[in-house]
This record gives sequence, structure tokens and C-alpha cells, in this order.
Amino acid sequence: MRFGRISKAVGVAAAAALALSACAGNSGGTTPSSATAGKQGGSATVVEVNAFNTFNPNTADGNTDINSKISYATHSGFYYIDNQLNVVRNEKFGKMEKTSDDPLTVKYTVNEGVKWSDGTPVTAADLLLQWAAFSGYYDDADSEAKTGTQYFSYAGDPTGLKLTDFPELGDDNRTMTIKYTKPFADWETILGGPGIDIAAHVMAKKAGLTDAKALVDYLKEKPKGDAKAPKPADEKLKAMADFWNTGFDTKTLPSDPSLYLSNGPYIVKSVTQDQSLTMVRNKDYNWGPEASLDEITVRYIGSAPAQVQALKNGEADIIAPQASADTIEQLKALESQGVTVEQGNQLSYDHIDLNYSGPLAEKSVREAFMKTVPRKDIVDKIVKKLDPEAKPLDSQLFVPAQAAYEESAKNNGSSAYQDVDIDGAKALLAGKTPEIRIMYNKDNPNRVDAFSLIRESATKAGFKIVDGGLGASDWGKALGDGSYDATIFGWINPGVGVSGVPQIFRTGNGSNFNQFSDPEADKLMDELIVTTDRSKQDELITQIDKKIWDSAYGLPLFQSVGVDAYSDRITGVKFMPNQTGVWWNFWEWAEK
Amino acid sequence: MVTYIVRRLITAALILLGASFLVYLLTASSGDPLEEFRASSAANKQQLMDARSELLDLDTPAPLRYFKWLGGAAKCLVPFGGSCDLGKNIAGQPITEALGFALVQTLTLVTGATVLAILIGIALGIITALRQYSALDYGVTFMAFLFFSLPIFWVAVLLKEYGAIGFNDFLRNPEIPLPVALVIGAVAGVIVAVAVGGVARRRLVSGGIVFLAASLILIYFSVVQWFRNPGLGPVVIAIAGVGIAFAVTVLVAGLKNKRALQSSLIVVVLGVVAYFAVQPLLNEATALMIVLLGIATIGVGVGTGYLMGGYDRGQSMRAAGITAFLVGGLILMDRFMQAWPSYFNNSRVRGRPIATIGAGTPNIQGDFWVLSLDTFTHLILPTMALILVSLASYTRFTRSSMLEIMNMDYIRTARAKGLSERSVVMGHAFRNALIPIATIVAFDIGALIGGAVITETVFSVRGMGFLFLDGIMHTDPNPVMGVFVCVAVTAMVFNLIADLAYSALDPRVRIKA
Repeated sequence: MRFGRISKAVGVAAAAALALSACAGNSGGTTPSSATAGKQGGSATVVEVNAFNTFNPNTADGNTDINSKISYATHSGFYYIDNQLNVVRNEKFGKMEKTSDDPLTVKYTVNEGVKWSDGTPVTAADLLLQWAAFSGYYDDADSEAKTGTQYFSYAGDPTGLKLTDFPELGDDNRTMTIKYTKPFADWETILGGPGIDIAAHVMAKKAGLTDAKALVDYLKEKPKGDAKAPKPADEKLKAMADFWNTGFDTKTLPSDPSLYLSNGPYIVKSVTQDQSLTMVRNKDYNWGPEASLDEITVRYIGSAPAQVQALKNGEADIIAPQASADTIEQLKALESQGVTVEQGNQLSYDHIDLNYSGPLAEKSVREAFMKTVPRKDIVDKIVKKLDPEAKPLDSQLFVPAQAAYEESAKNNGSSAYQDVDIDGAKALLAGKTPEIRIMYNKDNPNRVDAFSLIRESATKAGFKIVDGGLGASDWGKALGDGSYDATIFGWINPGVGVSGVPQIFRTGNGSNFNQFSDPEADKLMDELIVTTDRSKQDELITQIDKKIWDSAYGLPLFQSVGVDAYSDRITGVKFMPNQTGVWWNFWEWAEK
Repeated sequence: MVTYIVRRLITAALILLGASFLVYLLTASSGDPLEEFRASSAANKQQLMDARSELLDLDTPAPLRYFKWLGGAAKCLVPFGGSCDLGKNIAGQPITEALGFALVQTLTLVTGATVLAILIGIALGIITALRQYSALDYGVTFMAFLFFSLPIFWVAVLLKEYGAIGFNDFLRNPEIPLPVALVIGAVAGVIVAVAVGGVARRRLVSGGIVFLAASLILIYFSVVQWFRNPGLGPVVIAIAGVGIAFAVTVLVAGLKNKRALQSSLIVVVLGVVAYFAVQPLLNEATALMIVLLGIATIGVGVGTGYLMGGYDRGQSMRAAGITAFLVGGLILMDRFMQAWPSYFNNSRVRGRPIATIGAGTPNIQGDFWVLSLDTFTHLILPTMALILVSLASYTRFTRSSMLEIMNMDYIRTARAKGLSERSVVMGHAFRNALIPIATIVAFDIGALIGGAVITETVFSVRGMGFLFLDGIMHTDPNPVMGVFVCVAVTAMVFNLIADLAYSALDPRVRIKA
């Protein structure tokens, strides 16, 4: 997976253009235009690490970065996410409007003329199918009691759509309206984009129904699933869901073209198992940003040095290898032959969390410990060799790519932990020498380095540090089991959307491993997840961020560095922090 | 004999069962299959973990899971049952399907390299044994050990840097500066001077001739841009053909056998005539046609030898057959060279023919020649890397085996009864020296299926090695077991074959049940 932040290397012009589109996104209005510098036509070869294996990237098994990227290039929807982490609406595809705040009601309207590559129009039925799969509306499975059926194996988070009733479909078959029983913060990105992947008329055929209309009627009649009163599995729905789950899995181009229908800028032309995939322009497509290249070929190369050499030899035009000091050095050496290297921060970041129990139960001890964490040294030792400009991360909830980061970092109290303060820590400890066991993944050299630096510094203040490092296969299981007092590991900031926040920080939630609990923060989070206004969301998160810092939760350390590079044949590639990577603006890629 | 084989097969089956159980348990406990979800902040984390657990059947303890797997695998023993079930990998692909694909990838990668390494290694071994303690012997030994001790990932990266990127840069403007041509010529001259042996005068003359020839050829290549528009033409084929005819006759029959020499030379003449005759046919070539033509060529050679007759018909047939095959190879090579410009200028290749990754240029279109060249340009670097690192064992093995044989009593007897050195070396020593080599060749074919994990990674080929590594990474025993079964079965079968071959080749070894 690849994440990052916009790098300083990106030109001022690009930033300005992005800022414009960002504004547009926030106001929820205009349609993006493609500002291509290069000529129309041509081809490019992009390198990916993993091999393509399914045309449905939404399933739990198929949800890998490469499948999502291919789907992104071959499908379109109501929005996409730009590299400033803004949601940009695509009004040429259709309109997504919030028609009411209470109850939260969202109306999706697909424009006329938007169609699948077999000529069938994209309709509300396609949206309804996506809703049915993503919401788990029909599921009545109870994982504890092992009863009932889970139909669609959706990889995403169904929490939001679980709050909706069966959608209302318009008479013209182009609108769908969903009503939430409770407001949901991430309503904008939960449905309808970045791609409507699976065509309802194809699913209908595969499930033995005549057409998309029959599918809609069938879904309409089927009652909502109830885990408390499980019913025997519905044969037809089960067949349909099974097909959705595995029917699109393939490593070669299926002989049945309905399995890889496109409604986006590109359409898959050929797939060579485990080697490459080629997409050509979808001639009908005119409902969104217009693509420049006639053909995009994806090749799979696992090792980073091999990617760099492929770029050097002209076999690849765009690469985004795993960043390491060696890789970046090799790429910089290619700049003389016209290669452009872009660096930036990804959305994943390392942090140290302190347990609210054991020797660290007392706030003063946690504070003392935090004062000893040498964040600047850790950044110098681990990240500076990749990115000389790197700085410690100063927010638990924002990353610098997000507009609200700066404000939050200034006021959240992180300023108290900029430099190591051994004397301050000693004063807080008042002669105590607590024994702290730090757990981390000892097979990850960065975590080992961070641990050694923290141990060295904390020992000076009187802490007795116990090395609780575990192997790669064990550390994950140990999270939250109380066998340690502090832990160093990584989170991934979602970039867009706020529903991940309570998952980590709300009292008693699944990923709240250190038992942080603050009733006020809980209240703010409860408010956050029902707040649909984005600026209001930022305000709430800023308050939560401060609460977390105030309670001496632990410290964020640094963000991972990402890198991409492209040859002098190509223009328009821009760094993207999230898992879409360079693909986010593939339509702007052009041959020089 | 039959009891011996049956006993060996039963032991093999037991070993396979025990080893597969062990490998399964080791893989299953090598990591945490849910690691990627542990530190996730997704609200449906538990659901994703459940889905993965169900996919990998993690609720069943590993030892029991092994027997489930074994139940599916046992169905593979039913011939043509079509119910072979080795489980699925994490992406939901059946392992049997993944294995089929990976096996083809690996075999294309390593077969050529292994065959070439065996041929070159044995040839070098014999020559160094015959010239024991000469400069050539030391030189070859030094190089063999040098490459043997180099890590293959490093050799591969260097090859990519110079053999692909550097050479492609050179092809952009294939001019060889005069000093470079002279230096390369000098190096070639020195190598030959060292290799030929004999008195200093002979060495100097041979070295000098090679130096001049090599330098002149390079200058000529540079002037006519030969690397952009390569070709041999009938004249070069004729000259090289005559050389081949003499060399083959020397090795196979000795120059005293005039009939053999004459048959070989006649075949060369036929070859040059055929060069013009087959050109239109070759334009429509397919792989099958090339194979058939190859068989026909050998047939013509053998036939010529037969018709020439003489006191030792067999020698003539052999000499002419081999000569015909090699001259046919030259004609084939010439045709490939004719196709080179169209490959070079192909819009997919864009003037950078030698590839660093993969098994083919995506979406390339063209005739048989262009497509074959594409495969060739993708295979040449991994093949070279594999040959370089595996050459040492064959060279040293053959050399020591040959030295041992050359000191045998029967070699002295052969010499004493007045046989020519050629027949002593080729007829008596060489054949016997090959017996122990049969063993390591059989072993290597077993290891071949296991793939070259590192080479595959560096050259981005998704073969058996990749399948294995990917399985380990995801703590998914199914692909690992698939690879293991393939490798284990071939290794055991070839072990058995090696033992049987040994007894067939060496009358001193007899299998007693």
C-alpha cells in the first residue's frame, strides 16, 4: 500500500491548480477540467507491485491496491479524491445532493448519456446494487452464534449504510434517494464513487434474472436481514452475492466481455497473467475528466531496485517503489537523464502509545515519559536520510497534507514535547523509577531504532525500560492484551472521512488498545460522526486532538515517506499520499 | 530391479508424507496471517479478520488442516480424475492453476540456462583437465570460482546495468571508437594466446591473428552499423561452415577419415544452397516448421554421410549430421538477424531491445521472428546470470572426473596399443568421465523446478520461487505446499533415475534388490 503527502517538489503552478480544484470540491460545485500540458494520444507504462486478480475490488479478498487502481481507471462515479485529500465532485457523471439534514437524505442522479461499454446506460439499478452490496442490508449473520447468512463480502466499512432504509428509486430510473435514520459524517464518500464498478444488468443475468429491472424488483421485495431472527439463506440472492464475491476473479481476460464492462475513461484490453495489463481509451466516455493517453499498460515488478532499472531502461514510464534511502539515491541519480522524482509523506505514521494502566496509570508519569521521547532524534535517524526536510508529526488526528493540521498542531499542546526535557521528567517523577515494558515489532528496523533511542533517553530520567519487542508474527496479537506498558507501532490516517477516529480513541472501542477514556472526548466523537458539515468536522477533530494530547496519551513520531518517479516521455504525474497513489489523476498523464 | 524400484518408491512416498507434514506446520506457524489487520483502525476490522480466517480455515488447528489439505491433494493421484485439489491461495486462485502457470514461467527461465551451463561447463572441464596446470586451467578455475562466489542478485543487477541499459544506450549510436576496438581485440588475442597452448611462437602467432581479426571485425561492424542491421550472409555462412566441418570432423572422426571430412564439406555446400532456397519459406515460419526443418537438416546430413560410405560409415554419418545441424543453426541465426531491425524499430520496443524484467514486451505484435526475438531479449540476461553462477560446479566436477579417468590403467593401455590421442580422449576417457556427471545433472534437474528464487525476483518473473515466497509472506501454506510437492516429487524421481542411470552406464555398479 502506498501513502504520502504532497511533496515540496511539486511545482507552485501545480499547487495553485490543485488549490483551485480543492476549493471547487469543498463548495461541492464545479466539474474538474483536465489541464493537460502534453499532447493527446500516446501510451505509458506504469509499474505496480502486486498482480491484478479481480474486476471487483470491493470484496474482502479482492480489495488490494492494484485491483482498486484498475477499477478506478475503468469506472467513474460521483466524486474522486484529489491529492490534497479533498472530495472532488464529478458533475458530468451525475449529481449527488444532500436534500435534507434531518433526516439526512442524499439524492443521487446519474446524467443521461452515461453508459457502460456495452451500450447499456448506467442507471439507478447499478447504484442500488452497490448500495445492497455495501450496506449488508440483507445480512442476518451472527458471527458469535454462527447463524444466518452474510451475502456480499464487502471489504469496506458498512456502518454508515447500515443506517439507511431501502432507497427510493426515481421513475426515470436515473435517481436514487437514500435516507439515513441518523446523520452520518462520511455520507459523501460512502457510495457512488470513485467508481460504480459492477453493472446491475450483468449481475441480473448471472443470477438468472431477465434484466436490471427484475433485479431491482427482486431486491425491493426482499426484507431486511435481522441477525436476531436469521432466516434460511435466500437461494437467488446467495447466488448473486456469490457471483459478486468471486465471479469477477480472474488473472486473464475473460472471454465474456460483460465481466469487465467499463464506464470510465479506460477499458481493459488485455491481461497477461502475473505480468501486465493493458487499458485503452473508452471511446464513448465523455462524462468526466478527459484522458490524454490512448493506452496505459501496467506491469508488475516486486522489487524496488528492479523498478528503478526498468525506468532507466525505458521499460517503465511511471514507478512508485517502496521508499528507502537506496531507492531514493538511485532515483536521484536518474534525474540527469530527465527522470522526475517526487517525494512526499504518506498517510501512515509511527507513534508511541502509553497504557492508561500499570506504572503509567498516573498522568504525571505518562507526561514525564513523554518528555523523554527524543522525537527529533528519531526523525533524524530514521526519516532524514529519505527526506531531509522531515519533521516530527504534531497531531494525533491530522497529517500536514490536511488544511486543519497546522492550526491543530499549534494549539493541541504538542509544543510541550518538541524537545527532550530530562529535568522536567525527573521533577515529575520525583525520585520514582517506574519500570516500563515497551512492545514493538522487532523485525522492523525503524521500530527497533525508535525503541533504542527512547530507551536511552528515558533511562536518563530514571525510567527502567524493559525491551518487550516481539517478532513480526506476534506483536500484532499482543496489541491491547496488557502485557506491556507502552507500544510503538503504526496507524494509517484515513485521509478522507472521520469514522475511523472513534474506532481508535473512543472508550472501549476495537482499536483502542491503551484504554484511553475521556468522557468529553467521547461526547465530541459521538457528535463528530453525525456531523455532515466538513468544516464543523475539522473543528470537532481539533478539539478531540487537544483532549488526547491533554491526557498524555502518547506521541505521534513521524510519517512514512513515499516516492514516485516518471520518465521524460511523460507529464502530468503528481504525488498522492493515499493508497490510490499516482493513479489519482491518471487522466492528466500525457506523452510529451 | 523391480523390487528395488518399488522399495525406493515406497520410501519416497513415506518421506514425502513426513516432509510435507513438517513443511505445512512450519509454514502455518511462520507468521501471523492476520497481521495486516491487527493494527487497522477500520470499524469492520473483526469482519475482515473473520473473512480471512474463513478463507484460510484458521479455526482448524494446523495439524488437522494438514490432513484436510492432504485429502484434497490425494485426489491428484487419481490419473485424469480432474479432481486434483491443492486448495486456493489468498487471492482465491486454485493452486493447481497457479502452479501450472508458475511452472511454465520457471521452466522457460531456467531450462535454457541449465542446458547451456551443462554443455559449457563440461566442455570447459574437459579442456582444463587436458591442460592441467596451464595458464588456461588456472584462468578458468579462477573465473569459475569468482562467479560461483558472487551473489546472484549482484551479478544480475550488474548485468542489467551494463548488459541491458548500457548496451541499449550503445545501440542508439552503435559506433565503436578505434581504441575500444583495439582493446577488445587485444583482450581476445591474449585469451586465445593463453588458450591455444604449445610453444611461445605458436601462441604469439595465434594471439596476433585473433587480435587483428577481432579488431578489424569490430571496426567493420562500427562502420556499417552492424549492431543495428546485423546479418551473416551466405559468404560468412560458407566460411564458418567450412570451419565447422573441419572442427566437427576432428572431434568425431579425425581428419584422417577423408570420407567424413568430405561428407561434412558436402553438407556445407548443400547448406549454402539451402540458404537461398529456404528464405521464402522462412518468411512464413512457425515454431513447428523450424523443428521440422531442423530434423530434416540432420536427416540430410546423416543421409549424405551414409551415401559417402567408406570404411566407417557411422563416423561419416555422425560428422555430417552434426555439421548439418550447426550450419542449419547459422542459417537460422542469420534469419533472426534479418528480423532484428523490424524488432528494434517496433513501436513497443522503441529502440531498447534488451529487457531487464518480465518474460515479454506487453502487447507486442509481429511475426514468428519478432516474437521469438522478444522472448530472446527477455531471457538473455537471466540466462547469463544463471549460467555464470552455476558454471563452477560443472567445470570442477568434470575436470576432476576427467583427471581421474586419464590416470586409469585402461587409458595407458589404449595409448600403449597406439590409438590416436583423439580416440583416447573422445572414445575412452570422455565417455567414462561423464558417468559421475550424470548424477549431478539429475540432481540439478530436480532443483531446476524449485526455481531460482532470487533470479526470479530480480528479473520480475512470477514463477515457482515467487509463488513460494508469496505464500510465506502471507503465511498461506497452500502455495508453499504446492511448490513443495512439485519440487519434492521431481527431486525424488530424478534421484531414482540418477541411480538407475548410474547402473546402466557403469557396468561395475549393479543394483541388487
